[in-house]
Amino acid sequence: MPKKKTLGPQVKRLLTGVSDHGSEHLLEVETDLVQTTILLAEAIEKLGGSFLALHTAISSQQEEIDLLISAGVAPSASVDRLKLLQNDIAQHVNSAVTSLQFQDMTSQLISRTVQRSAGLREVLGTLGIVGDGIPHDGGNDEIADLLKEISMRLEAQSIQLKSLLRKAVSQQHLDSGDIELF
Amino acid sequence: MAKTILAVDDSGSLRQMVAFSLKAAGYQVIEAVDGQDGLEKARNQVVDLVLTDQNMPRMDGLTLIKSLRGLPSYQRVPILMLTTESSDDMKAKGRAAGANGWLVKPFDPQKLTEVVKKVIG
Repeated sequence: MPKKKTLGPQVKRLLTGVSDHGSEHLLEVETDLVQTTILLAEAIEKLGGSFLALHTAISSQQEEIDLLISAGVAPSASVDRLKLLQNDIAQHVNSAVTSLQFQDMTSQLISRTVQRSAGLREVLGTLGIVGDGIPHDGGNDEIADLLKEISMRLEAQSIQLKSLLRKAVSQQHLDSGDIELF
Repeated sequence: MAKTILAVDDSGSLRQMVAFSLKAAGYQVIEAVDGQDGLEKARNQVVDLVLTDQNMPRMDGLTLIKSLRGLPSYQRVPILMLTTESSDDMKAKGRAAGANGWLVKPFDPQKLTEVVKKVIG
């Protein structure tokens, strides 16, 4: 009499495979994001330091220029041109200060993505653990019950993860935000 | 004498830009790394204005505002939120907690100093 084929081993292999491979890839995603965070933090520290040093140097230069203008040694055409340049510099400084706030927003978004990925790994872990419980010789009803249990647990974990990860950054550009006084 | 502003934010780069902008406008700036640090520094020295972020470790901005409003010396000190949060729901919570204004990041330094001047002169 031919031996009855059961789906148990195949389902178990599928669930374990999705869990293991998925977790491995998500761990790589998290590692890359943590590395990105470190690089961005170093970049903003250096950019911020350079910006402040540059601003100090330009301010000192401006003081020297103001002294020359007060002494009347600069031609009037140059004085007018210097004033225009000063306005340009002030606008660029404003723009740079607004742009240099990028890391505050990107780090929050990356942190949220890392948390979501870690949460998703937990979900996949559940898939593997429950999958391991599928007996090799289990019948279709037993497998169907286990798959139903997996679906319910995944849904619950997914809802819980969503509730934990409220989106605090909705900015799409680095334009300055709204101001409201109460 | 220069007026003093307490800038509370867990982002070092953000605090750096806030301090740069406000110092350039003639204000003194005290920095705090989160709500808890902000509360301790506010207790040590009563400042003229508090500018705080919302999402921070240990203590968030709304909790900081409620704690400050519980202190007699901070019942009338202006408190502005400077945060990435921009929903009406969060703004309403800020207002209920005792915030006097809401600034959405990123800020423009000129606009920030204009608002601060309007609030504390």
